[in-house]
Amino acid sequence: MELAILLGVLTLLLVCGVPVAFSLLGATLVTFFFMDLPAIGVFQRMAGGMSVFSLMAIPFFVFAGELMHRSGIAERLVRVAEAAFGQARGGLGQVDVGASMLFGAVSGSAIASVSAMGSTLMPMMKSRGYDADYAVNVTSTSAICGLLIPPSHNMIIYAAAAGVGVSIGELFVAGIVPGILTGAALMVAAWAVAVKRGYPRGEFPGWMVFLRALIMALPGLMTAIIIVGGVLGGLFTATESSAIAVIYTIAVAAILYRSMGPKAFLEAAIQAVRTTAMVLLIIGAASAFGWTLALLEAPAQLASLITTLTDNPILILLIINLILLILGTFMDMSPLIVITTPIFLPIVAELGMDPVQFGVVMMLNLGIGLVTPPVGSVLFVGSAIGKVPVEETVKTIWPFYGALFVALMAVTYVPAISMGLVNLLR
Amino acid sequence: MAALARLLRLASRSLLVIGGIGLTVMTAIIGWQVFARYVLNASPSWSEQASLVLMIWYVSFAAAAGVKEGFHIRISALVNALPDGPRKTIDIGAQLVVALVGLAMAVWGGELITRTWEHVIPTLGIPRGAAYLPLPISGVLITLFALENILEILNPAAAGKTEA
Repeated sequence: MELAILLGVLTLLLVCGVPVAFSLLGATLVTFFFMDLPAIGVFQRMAGGMSVFSLMAIPFFVFAGELMHRSGIAERLVRVAEAAFGQARGGLGQVDVGASMLFGAVSGSAIASVSAMGSTLMPMMKSRGYDADYAVNVTSTSAICGLLIPPSHNMIIYAAAAGVGVSIGELFVAGIVPGILTGAALMVAAWAVAVKRGYPRGEFPGWMVFLRALIMALPGLMTAIIIVGGVLGGLFTATESSAIAVIYTIAVAAILYRSMGPKAFLEAAIQAVRTTAMVLLIIGAASAFGWTLALLEAPAQLASLITTLTDNPILILLIINLILLILGTFMDMSPLIVITTPIFLPIVAELGMDPVQFGVVMMLNLGIGLVTPPVGSVLFVGSAIGKVPVEETVKTIWPFYGALFVALMAVTYVPAISMGLVNLLR
Repeated sequence: MAALARLLRLASRSLLVIGGIGLTVMTAIIGWQVFARYVLNASPSWSEQASLVLMIWYVSFAAAAGVKEGFHIRISALVNALPDGPRKTIDIGAQLVVALVGLAMAVWGGELITRTWEHVIPTLGIPRGAAYLPLPISGVLITLFALENILEILNPAAAGKTEA
């Protein structure tokens, strides 16, 4: 009964367009009243969920991404990708995926990625005769690579939700190969659609141009080395490395590229604050909601339901993936990480899956949720920048969903893709 | 009416500017922490806790501004598919829910502070309750912003210049 109220009120509020964070809090409050629990507990959990040291990496990663977007670092990454991948049929599609992967390596935020790549590449694609829906589809789906390619602020949320024993450094390393694999799958999809629509072929500009572009982009790409190297080498915590990435980006933008004034800096900071406030409020609300779910023993019930359905590990993993995919279409990534990690991690651990691999599966799975309506923040931002209604883009996005699904299945069932590099380091 | 709308818009913008400054200060604090550890060979004990408290503060304020600006993520497709009349009603209902949650945050967030005022955060020497202080403040702001959004839905012209 209490569970029905919790989930029923949540669904009702979400459907009526109440923001996700307030829907989670509202449903939790109503359930607390019904159970005669002191409502102060809701806000205690909320405050507790937000007061986690490692979560401080979120504003820093988003800030660094915004600064790179506004200071021309993103554009320089696009030029590298253009020189490397531009010669294929529908070359700009390949450039888009490649540049998103590079951006993913320097920034930890998918939203920053789609806004940076979208504002640079979408006008370029449109002016060369590519359809706007194609530009939106490629840019939005390839931002998912950035969730896997380290650094990734969602991996930090996962490490916090999984509790002790899951190292952020190992998660970062585990994401590298799956991120490249996902990018490759999307490149195939982008190529196939480009061939079907008869998009133009680019030309290889020559090694000199490629090298020049690479050298120009090198200061930006150094961020990846600072963050990942710093965390893996034990020099910095994830929070520290992300703050240093911000300071480094400011230095590159202000001194080397001379591309940013105080006004652009303040706007970047404010935009980062907006994203952070949205994400952290949701994490706080989801902590209170998830705690209530656990109080009602919902996770245990769901786990026993799944294991009574089947004891085949392949099917259990498929069921978990499908549940997450469905939830992901309705809800944003961060609350689902907070709410579902404690539910599913024990089940997959029982099957022998490493928590690090499950983290990667979750990133990719819930990442797909970011590009599927009705709630898909990355697709929404992509559509807004490309000026194409979401309803239009989803008509032609299916090949890209297909590519992401294939990558998800590979990452789920082939542990070596995620764990190969991690095991080398362990 | 129009003056109120202007005032709240200004308040929401100010909250975000404060947030931007807070984020910049937080960057400096963590940067200082690394500098102190590697260059001065002395890790400050206060820096991590201080920037966490700072983050909770500016995030709570910016979250309130998000109610005014409408940047909190939500499912809008279903409501937008409705005809104007029912859509307005549901939009008002949704804002009312936000206002009530804000009110709950103000009341019980306030209680949380009084209960935790005795606990002192050791590295900072300030009460734990001070870290939660923005919760009730933000709750009040959320309620105000959501109520003003309702007025705006009821009377879109009033949001501009004319008197309601």
